[in-house]
Amino acid sequence: MKRNLLHVLSLLVLASMLLAACGPAATEAPAATEAPAAPFEAMKVEAPSCDYGGGMKSIEAVDQYTVKFTLCAPDPAVPAKVAFSSLGIQPSEYLESTGGTGELLEHPIGTGPYMIETWERGNQIVFTRNDNYWGEPAKSKTLVFRWGTESAQRLLELQSGSVDGIDNVGPDDFDTVKNDANLKLFPRQALNVMYIGMTNTFAPFDNELVRQAFAQAVDRQRIVDRFYPPGSEVASHFTPCAIPNGCAGESWYDFNVDAAKALLEQAGYGASNPFPTIKLHYRDVVRGYLPDPSVVAQDIQAQLKENLGVTVEIDVMESGAFIDAANSGSLDGLWLLGWGADFPDVVNFLDAHFSAAAFDSFGKPFADITDNLAQGAQLADEAAREPFYEAANNAIKLHVPMIPVAHGGNAAAYKATVEGAHASPLSTEIFAVMGIPGQDTFVWMQNAEPISLYCADETDGESLRACEQVTEPLLSYAIGGTATETGGVAESYESSADLTEWTFHLRQGVTFHDGSALDANDVVMSYVVQWDAANPLHKGNTGAFEYWTYLFGQFLNAPQ
Amino acid sequence: MQTTIPKLDTDKSLDSVSLWSVTRKRLFRRKSAIFGMTILGILIVIALTAHWLAPYDPTKSMLDIKGYPTSVEKRQPPCIHAFGCPADQPQHILGLDGVIRDEFSRLLYGARLSLVIGLATVTFAIVIGTVLGSLAGYFGGWVDNAIMRVMDVLLAFPSLLLAIAIVTVLGPGLINALLAIGIVSIPAYARVVRGSVLSIRETDYVSATRSLGGNTYEILFKRILPNALTPLIVQGTLGIATAILDSAALSFLGLGAQPPTPEWGAMLGAERNQVFTAPHLVFYPGLAIMLTVLAFNLLGDGLRDALDPRLAHVS
Repeated sequence: MKRNLLHVLSLLVLASMLLAACGPAATEAPAATEAPAAPFEAMKVEAPSCDYGGGMKSIEAVDQYTVKFTLCAPDPAVPAKVAFSSLGIQPSEYLESTGGTGELLEHPIGTGPYMIETWERGNQIVFTRNDNYWGEPAKSKTLVFRWGTESAQRLLELQSGSVDGIDNVGPDDFDTVKNDANLKLFPRQALNVMYIGMTNTFAPFDNELVRQAFAQAVDRQRIVDRFYPPGSEVASHFTPCAIPNGCAGESWYDFNVDAAKALLEQAGYGASNPFPTIKLHYRDVVRGYLPDPSVVAQDIQAQLKENLGVTVEIDVMESGAFIDAANSGSLDGLWLLGWGADFPDVVNFLDAHFSAAAFDSFGKPFADITDNLAQGAQLADEAAREPFYEAANNAIKLHVPMIPVAHGGNAAAYKATVEGAHASPLSTEIFAVMGIPGQDTFVWMQNAEPISLYCADETDGESLRACEQVTEPLLSYAIGGTATETGGVAESYESSADLTEWTFHLRQGVTFHDGSALDANDVVMSYVVQWDAANPLHKGNTGAFEYWTYLFGQFLNAPQ
Repeated sequence: MQTTIPKLDTDKSLDSVSLWSVTRKRLFRRKSAIFGMTILGILIVIALTAHWLAPYDPTKSMLDIKGYPTSVEKRQPPCIHAFGCPADQPQHILGLDGVIRDEFSRLLYGARLSLVIGLATVTFAIVIGTVLGSLAGYFGGWVDNAIMRVMDVLLAFPSLLLAIAIVTVLGPGLINALLAIGIVSIPAYARVVRGSVLSIRETDYVSATRSLGGNTYEILFKRILPNALTPLIVQGTLGIATAILDSAALSFLGLGAQPPTPEWGAMLGAERNQVFTAPHLVFYPGLAIMLTVLAFNLLGDGLRDALDPRLAHVS
């Protein structure tokens, strides 16, 4: 009996081993695509007309190394936009072979100084040097991304030497890092904004008087002084002043409790009609614009109780659910959110939030804001744009869709021995230029794990930073700065006089990580899968491709 | 003829000792139990008089206090005048927290909250657990089966995970957290009561009551339950400690008490990132939780030994 059982068992083991051996090999490197012998067939995708609502008219490969964009309206920000990391170029053959999702989300193939070696979910991403890089090769042979949500944990890892650089030093740890001779602090310019949102489709914030009252009832200076790290400032406008035309128009309301009380009374609230209890929603996620969310939320709660006698209930939400609710305008009461600059243009702040095409975060849009933004976005000359942004900022102050609170200073920290260390105001650190002499591996620790590595369909800064090491857009931002440079796959570009036609000339002889050569069709394909909602490769991680709509408006063939 | 039956003076004529006096005597012989009771006594006094003892409003920022020095910083370390802190600085025995509130005042009010949490959840669990357990034990059969299998299912989940699941469904908040912890601790009490009822049901005095025509209510609530109380008291005392710990854990995770409520677990959770920069904000709430739980555990252990008749000759 026992012997029989043993036989059956060993047969089963054998059978399972056989099955495993006959299955498809688990890891098979994507085959390098041979350079096509056929002559170059230029791709072109064109919208039948500009009536579809987006900003792009056509994208075409003029020849093997030239790409031309035709726009529906003048756009001076095109160079800054095409340098953004969601527009990294990948081989058209690879995009097709993955079907626009699946493997593409884990293994982007770019032209950058690093390529993905492994992504151990929940643990780390290992990048390895691209030895065929067209530019200066990366200093370290291996780059490792790790993550930890707690700032104390990140600092501890840096102090103990297990990582070489960390993001978002805790606001209370700035001095610790400064006083440590082995470490070096790299503050970022405060190119972001934290605001208190109010959705105007929910009572009591459907009343403009109430919104104006709240705009004056919060002591923003106190919040910045007490709860923000050095280098932060009170927001006088939604857009930081370092961005041209960001501060056009009147400064925000002063802190004035009496005026706020008078406005609430005017709105019909008083002893006989007490103000309702409201909610304050936020996510407990540290960002450069909000370094200590719960503390700031509790201070706003205390201030509103003290200044207006309004009871505020705090509602901490899960990050993804909170962002979805904020974007769809379904948060009642107050909510704390912010925005970090993607590219240094005022449209990146104002249009992304208050234009007609923006999300419904704040409820119904205001015509005097949207009209001015639409006109300003079409002009190239900053002086000519000024009147429109002045009017838009004044209208924002009048209607108070939100209360801008702070431009938060934040910092990265590195070991003092790291060469080429920098912190980018756009949070696009380039690790290829960093390294420790005599050390093969460079370890970076950020706040969170990337969501996916197909950044055309990601908005999260932690994902974008990982993509930036691997894929390259047409242009690039200056390392540690905001200027647009020709450090991407295009070596030069020009535009027509009316700023509606932009032509980019690609570098020749650039190869992707899979060995295939870069040509203009790869650029067209990388753009079109984002632009054309009817394209079979328009899939990505969630299919939202949010940054495309931020950058160029509506999708082509958008579902009704 | 008139006869009077002499009245028996049971208390004086018989040399009887009540269970409680024996227990008290045995309890006071145990040093650890005395230590537990002392801490608990102090905690109860603090909880009752927190509004007199606390120097500041526990939910009020120092920035909102008129005339308070404007140089104040968040997370200031303790300032005690007797230990050399300059007299021109306001005294904060345990320092200030991240929102610039007095940590000492918050800790005192937290004692009130923790005791209420412990007592409320355990009372809730004991009442429901006793009813279910006694019904199961007394009636047996399918009633027993139905009740105890549900209890088994509840026990099959790790209690804190189940509490987290319940709070996730009900929504975060102190009341919901209490409810969740109460629910997950019901099975422990139901089991204890069922066990006692099962054994007491078969005793002679219960059979006597039954043969004298006592109804179910009388037998269960007047004869059986009072005698099943001993293990319940021990289980309850230890259960308070678990309840306080669980609610602190839920609040630490942001599922229990909501800000600005001064709850120890929530205080600990809010400042967990400052463990190196402002250790006082993590140390004191942690210490408070530890001492309270320790006090209930010591008292519970002491009570168990004191109430156990088998250990009567040990001490």
